[in-house]
Amino acid sequence: MKADSPKHIGARIQRFEDVRLLSGAARYIDDIRLPGMLHCTFARAHTAHGTILEIDTSGLADLDYPTWVFTGKDTAGLSMKAHQDYPEMQYSEQPLLAEGKVRFVGEAVAAVLAEDAYKSEDAAEQLFIDCDPLPVVGTMAQARDASLPPLFDGWHSNVIVQRQMKGGDLEAAKAAAAHIIKRTYRNQRQAGVPMEGRGVVAHYNNADRVLTVWSSTQMPHLVRTYISEELDLPESRIRVVAPDVGGGFGVKGQVFGDEVLIAWLAMKTGRPVKWIEDRREHLIASIHARDHEHTLEAYVSADGRLLGLKADISVDNGAYSTYPFTSAGEPGMVGKVLPGPYDFQAYEATFRALATNKCSIGTYRGVARPSAVFSQERLMDDIAAELGLDPFEFRLKNIIREFPYKNVLGFTYDPGSYAESLELMQTLLADDVAAAKASHASDTTRVGVGIACFIEQTAHGTPDFTRRRTPIETGYIAARVEMAPDGTVTIDLGLQNHGQGLETTMAQVAADALGVLPSSVYVRHGDTLTTPYSVGTWGSRGGALGGGAVHVASLKIAEKLKAIAAHLMQTTPDEIELADGQAYMRSAEDRFIPISKLARAALRNVDQLPPGMLPGLEAEQRQDGPRDGTYANAVHAAVVEIDVPTGKMQLKRFVVVEDCGTILNPLVVDGQVRGGVVQGIGSAMFEHFVYDEECQPLTTSFADYLMPLAPEIPNIEVHHFETPTPLTPLGAKGLGEGGAIGPAAAIGNAVANALGVEVRETPLNANAIWHLSAHLRPAE
Amino acid sequence: MRPASFGYHKATDLAHALALLAEFGDDGRPLAGGQSLVPMMNLRLARPAHLVDINALPLTAIERRGDVLHVGALVRHHRYLSDPLIAAHFPAFLEAVHWIGHPTIRNHGSIGGSISHADPTAELPAICLLYDATIIASSTGGDRRIAARDFFLGAYVTALQPGEMVTAVEFPIPPAKSTGAFIELGERRGDFAIASVGVALQWSGRQITGAAVVCCGARLVPIRASEVENLLIGRQLDAPDAAAIGRRFANTIEPVSDHSGSSAYRKHLIGELTRRTIERACQQALETA
Amino acid sequence: MTEITLAVNGTAKTVDVEPRRLLADVLRNDFNLSGVHIGCAHGACGCCTVQIDGVPRLSCLTFAVQCENVEITTVESMGGPDATHILQQAFKSEHGLQCGYCTPGFIMTLAPYVDTMLAQRRMPSDEEIREAMSGNICRCTGYHGIVSAVRKAIGDQLGSEAAA
Repeated sequence: MKADSPKHIGARIQRFEDVRLLSGAARYIDDIRLPGMLHCTFARAHTAHGTILEIDTSGLADLDYPTWVFTGKDTAGLSMKAHQDYPEMQYSEQPLLAEGKVRFVGEAVAAVLAEDAYKSEDAAEQLFIDCDPLPVVGTMAQARDASLPPLFDGWHSNVIVQRQMKGGDLEAAKAAAAHIIKRTYRNQRQAGVPMEGRGVVAHYNNADRVLTVWSSTQMPHLVRTYISEELDLPESRIRVVAPDVGGGFGVKGQVFGDEVLIAWLAMKTGRPVKWIEDRREHLIASIHARDHEHTLEAYVSADGRLLGLKADISVDNGAYSTYPFTSAGEPGMVGKVLPGPYDFQAYEATFRALATNKCSIGTYRGVARPSAVFSQERLMDDIAAELGLDPFEFRLKNIIREFPYKNVLGFTYDPGSYAESLELMQTLLADDVAAAKASHASDTTRVGVGIACFIEQTAHGTPDFTRRRTPIETGYIAARVEMAPDGTVTIDLGLQNHGQGLETTMAQVAADALGVLPSSVYVRHGDTLTTPYSVGTWGSRGGALGGGAVHVASLKIAEKLKAIAAHLMQTTPDEIELADGQAYMRSAEDRFIPISKLARAALRNVDQLPPGMLPGLEAEQRQDGPRDGTYANAVHAAVVEIDVPTGKMQLKRFVVVEDCGTILNPLVVDGQVRGGVVQGIGSAMFEHFVYDEECQPLTTSFADYLMPLAPEIPNIEVHHFETPTPLTPLGAKGLGEGGAIGPAAAIGNAVANALGVEVRETPLNANAIWHLSAHLRPAE
Repeated sequence: MRPASFGYHKATDLAHALALLAEFGDDGRPLAGGQSLVPMMNLRLARPAHLVDINALPLTAIERRGDVLHVGALVRHHRYLSDPLIAAHFPAFLEAVHWIGHPTIRNHGSIGGSISHADPTAELPAICLLYDATIIASSTGGDRRIAARDFFLGAYVTALQPGEMVTAVEFPIPPAKSTGAFIELGERRGDFAIASVGVALQWSGRQITGAAVVCCGARLVPIRASEVENLLIGRQLDAPDAAAIGRRFANTIEPVSDHSGSSAYRKHLIGELTRRTIERACQQALETA
Repeated sequence: MTEITLAVNGTAKTVDVEPRRLLADVLRNDFNLSGVHIGCAHGACGCCTVQIDGVPRLSCLTFAVQCENVEITTVESMGGPDATHILQQAFKSEHGLQCGYCTPGFIMTLAPYVDTMLAQRRMPSDEEIREAMSGNICRCTGYHGIVSAVRKAIGDQLGSEAAA
């Protein structure tokens, strides 16, 4: 880099994608319209568990327009198969349309097509699904009750999978403990709810035998692979396009049966077919998240050192296993991450997934870690309270300070700023802690301060998935970078950009490597026709691995440009510097050639190339994640004020100190953190997907499923440490999920601090807070 | 989530609207702001065969007519926020409006629509009950004047007959100086209430001369605190003993229990909100005294 | 089917629609205005907000047949293809958007609010700004950048007026 030219990585550059999003020019899935297109509406199960006796479609005959209807009999054998290769895991398949049984309210039973979405909805109402109800398995306790029938034929029980992971000598830790603290913590069931629901459009071109599927997905290549395998089509003749995607948050980071089914329907009917999820469908039948129960037993020395931890982890998985992270993914993740940022070397976790007649659990921002950190950090405060220690001091006593650190399960943590983040947060909160203490004399208005200290394994590499034996199989991200004869650059990126700012940050990365302006870099993504095979955007890997891939591929082109420049300037490539659109000679900065001229030489005036050099300026890189991932760290803090008589809680302040390694663009980083935090606040305080005893969903609209609105949310303060990791090319760690991980724990701890009680579960809504503060009210 | 088919009829004047509603009977619904009805139609929880669009009708007055404040059925919620008569005589009404939905909803939602929809947690039905409003239900057969206490029969059920529509609501203007307050508790701004309480007081000197207390969200219809209202009358503004009155009111109600609030919580909340509304109303009176 | 003439973004066009067609669908399908987004179709998220005679309105709770003889405005007309409206520009500089799906609804809700504040020559508090957007859900930004954008749009205008 030329000494005086500005670096683009790390600059607060406004996003290139914004103009099309702000002007209304963006194209989302519902904006895809094709001639002759049919619209699909699903008739869905009203019964949580039942045997399908009959699907009466005779009502369709009365309609005065053409309709098409398909049921599980038509799609027999086609299903979502999401199995983790654990010997003890029971196998489940979700038929594309229910076959024989329905297992949750909202399960797709029939697909009804018409030439207009209003008409297909009318037509779907004509279907009568006659179900013979079966006993409902509605809770974790019922799922463990051997007297209730298993959801699937051939299963021995409704425990889908139960496994253990352990490290160190737990018995010794227990024996040495002066304090044994055992608690059970719970997190409620949630939905993910991007503002754009899901949707699929498919079209089969008979002439060239190419199936094109547009889907609002975070992982177009995986959709392609699954469709190819399930429909037995050559993958080379399937194109999957994720257009502009209106939020994903992990919800769109799985392959859904409807993506396969809409493709199948397009082939079956010979017409383009479109399905746009409505909000009720999204809430009841896409994927759900959380719904955890953890029992933790900590062994602590007399002087407040954590010696060991024993964990029993259950997740209410719902009915089916989702692809590609499976039913085992969520509870297994808790077991894996519970050791957290603390230094102890004895651990044992038993984790299990339980099958119930509810919507399946899938990945949602944070994936299991918001729950794991809620339990971990509530436990830390509960231990501190029992030992009479200050929460900061207790954590600082146990925090990991030496890196690299090998944790009790053998995972190696790369360098971070764990202690520094805690110490900074302690300083930032000093006044609030004092105010909270002062308020504790009052029985009417209480202030509480709570923190959550956590690490997040991000950008996991292939070995991590191999260890887990999940169908995802790999974790790399690919980028292909190409410079055109005019010196402008195209990046074909294996990530899918749905709010993360990748069209800007990836341009910044390429610009620095190539010595051009970010505005001359065009980032394309989300289309399997143009982008190299990749696993998609999920698991906090975009900046770290996508950025790494772009960086390395760009450097390969830069090397070639330097060689050409050196040849033309009669010097050696190591004498050449690329910056500001020029190739400079280091020793004589007044000597330079425009990069566009080098590009033209590489692609058109190829006679100017060094002898033996082939034309062309393109490079591709597949960047896999480190074996154990790279660990981002953060401390979150919440300051709450509780009106004790009504249970109404106000979030006065929310502070984040975070370290995601190298920051590519602070505008984007802060945005990701703040957005994640507010989703986490939703988990902590508002969002609760409720089923009744019969597993009928009760929160099926935005009037009942409550996401944070602006008036309830304070401005979110963000502070950074920047500890680059040696494990990714740019030193960047993952960032996308972290914001969502800490709030439930921080708010839970703040409530505990405010009321002087132990908080065992979320959501901490007004009703919950009121019940938690009974001890502060005079007996009625 | 799109509505089922219906016939659309744009009423040119009240007679036209009533004729259409008479013709359609049970199958017809007036369409005003649509902020309550259309969500139900989109979810196909409501499927009127005919909609009579009454938005062109001149039912938009807020005006004093003798001893009553006349509010046309098409008055949109946001207008109360700047109306001097509402502020002067119906302070609990004014406060309640702040809790209705959000600005876009308040711009379009109408009083006729809100009370005809009769959501058990909605603010305006409670306000009608609190201020002993009279609802004017019109049909081709003429006008029927229905006291608010006889109008709300259940969740989403009113005394309106097929062919009838609300054309106005009349609020008797209190003879004495008025104070009042309305406090709602919901999870988020604009949410359906877990519980809310409204209080309207008249006063003279430093004494309470008239009192009404209402709560909504606790049961399927708003509830007046008739048993305890009399206790307020004669009390001093600076010593209303609101806590005891709140407890007594709460003890007369067996609130619903659901995932947003247990019955015990709602019961307590009614007592607490009653105390707060009474105290706030008294405080405001004292400040103007 | 009903024949109606709608004036959208300054241009009138006659379309034949079923009475039950939501304004949102007619704008999207018959007027090709894909900036109108449907987030919930039950009036609870604000994504579909357009303006009718300058007043924000939920186009998912409005039937197209109701909309004759009014001026309908969508995000496409606010600042054109380059999104030049002061509020759009402020959303960009303050990172008031991420996935962009809720964004047109926020712009259509908040642009008249910005105008009102400018007419009153007043910088609202954050609490007031948050109340003004309380009918719109954003799942990406946590609202922080949107609040900043409103403040910036108002502040820049007030500042430049003061300077002029």
